[in-house]
Amino acid sequence: MIGIIGSGNVGANTAFFLAEKGVDHVTLFDIQEGLAQGKALDMMEAAPIRGYRTTISGTDDPGEVLNADIVIITAGEVRKPGMDRDALFQANKKIIIDYAEKITGPDTRVIIVSEPVDLLTTLFARHSCLPADRVMGLGGVLDATRLRFLIAHEMAVSMENVAAQVVGRHGDDMIILQDYCCVSGVPIEHFLSKETIETLFDQTREAGSLIVELAGRASAYYGPSAVAADLAEAICHNTGRVLSVSRMLSGQFDITDAALSLPCIINRTGASGILIPRLNDDQIKTLATSARIIQETLKEDPHA
Amino acid sequence: MPKVSIIGAGNVGATAVYYIAEKNLADIVMVDVVEGLPQAKALDYLHAAPMRNYHVTITGTNDYQEITDSDVVVLTAGIPRKPGMDRMDLMKINVDIAKKAAQAIARYAPNAVVVVVSNPLDVIAMATLQETGFALKRVMGMAGVLDATRFRYFIAEKLNVWPGDVMAMVLGGHGDTMVPLPRYTRVNGIPVTELIEPRDLEKLINRTRTGGGEIVSLLKKGSAFYAPGASVAKMVEAILKDEKRVVPVSAYLRGEYGYQDIFLGVPVLLGKNGVEKILELALTDNEKIALDASAAAVKDGVDTLRSFFSPG
Repeated sequence: MIGIIGSGNVGANTAFFLAEKGVDHVTLFDIQEGLAQGKALDMMEAAPIRGYRTTISGTDDPGEVLNADIVIITAGEVRKPGMDRDALFQANKKIIIDYAEKITGPDTRVIIVSEPVDLLTTLFARHSCLPADRVMGLGGVLDATRLRFLIAHEMAVSMENVAAQVVGRHGDDMIILQDYCCVSGVPIEHFLSKETIETLFDQTREAGSLIVELAGRASAYYGPSAVAADLAEAICHNTGRVLSVSRMLSGQFDITDAALSLPCIINRTGASGILIPRLNDDQIKTLATSARIIQETLKEDPHA
Repeated sequence: MPKVSIIGAGNVGATAVYYIAEKNLADIVMVDVVEGLPQAKALDYLHAAPMRNYHVTITGTNDYQEITDSDVVVLTAGIPRKPGMDRMDLMKINVDIAKKAAQAIARYAPNAVVVVVSNPLDVIAMATLQETGFALKRVMGMAGVLDATRFRYFIAEKLNVWPGDVMAMVLGGHGDTMVPLPRYTRVNGIPVTELIEPRDLEKLINRTRTGGGEIVSLLKKGSAFYAPGASVAKMVEAILKDEKRVVPVSAYLRGEYGYQDIFLGVPVLLGKNGVEKILELALTDNEKIALDASAAAVKDGVDTLRSFFSPG
């Protein structure tokens, strides 16, 4: 069973995508009484038409989702126009610590979607009893998905043919690995000019903010939900997807005690098998800076 | 609903029908010279329709007229090589079959995009192009997609990752002379050369080269059809849905990569008009040498084809 904490736009759409794909039964939870049950019921009433073979239920008892095989955390504040990710952190850190301490099943796999994802993933991992590979944050894979869209759109080719890897901290200092961005295996510099590539990379860095600005009040949720559902599916089916997610590092690029995105093999045990990317000196420096910022922000944390 | 006709109701043709029907991509016509065979297979599929929720029609026929106004025609017809049969004799028979089919395509489905599957691929594609008189972009051969999917599977199996995350580019002729490009073969963007030792990668490449033969030797009689059928369906879908996929197909070259007037596996943009663009990649010296060898083999085949029709 997949438990989803938070039944706002991201949580509910993740449940929706999981049901459409028939991955596993889903239980939605929200602190607002009735919200999870209402959305779950609405989705199930579409089941006869959509042919769902898995169930979606709703609850306002957190105990019902905390023991799930996979727990997806979408709870907390979302970004509003003008709000930066650090202000979000102050709003969301307590919630994350609370759930980290409550999840006790040693085999639970946790996907953190709440923002700022790398800080919250680090905090969760510190306060949780789970091994490092069981806790992953929705980081680089979301940026990579947005970049894939932008490249495919620019070139007018099938999106499925485009691959991209983004590592590091989700946000302004994300590291886009240009050598790993390709169309059917062929690097994008064969098809696009330097200037165009730089524009697409800038648009990727601004992609989350652009949606907040355009939508006015809501932050992005279709993209994040699709990625969260994809991760849950890869875990459930032991697929071995190669996706860049945020997880606690244990010496990769000399970084410990900070969660940052690197390409991982996603399977039954979670984000196992980190595939170390080829980084240049600048990129290694950026990664180290990102780690330091996370550690600095968390220095008040008693578990530091 | 678009319309796809499959000429040849053997295993490859029938399996392609299966994938196309499962995705409800198009109404399907299967044509074969053997009486009853296409009708039987079509009816068998329709018996499964209530469970599989097809809402496309599937028709089996011996009459080429049924392919009228098809959007895509897949040419799988041909006979397999029998023991003791000369390769030349086989080629001659299959070229004759392809020419008859091509005449019917030109007559009944003059706007179709044609995907050639019959072997020897590059020769049959040439005969089909000549006989239909179609625009170059509307006739292509299926080979690279199949070679690439085999290579992708072997890499995924080796790394224990999802095959869908592996992308591969394979150029050249089908089989022995194929030219895989390891630096353009990637796991969600990460070059396989960073993940697999050169010696191990070489083994996977060789296994890909002989991938069809491996299946033949296991089956004893008959050859692969699931992966070839899936490759056909993928190309048909890309054309019908105008997906603009970047895939290797056997396309007619007029100077691209330095070759004139042959069909050779190269990356193309595949959409509703067929081969909408041939993508020229910069090749290393070694890759170019390998592609030259592949092109030479294709050229030999085409020269043989010409000799069939030359006077005397």
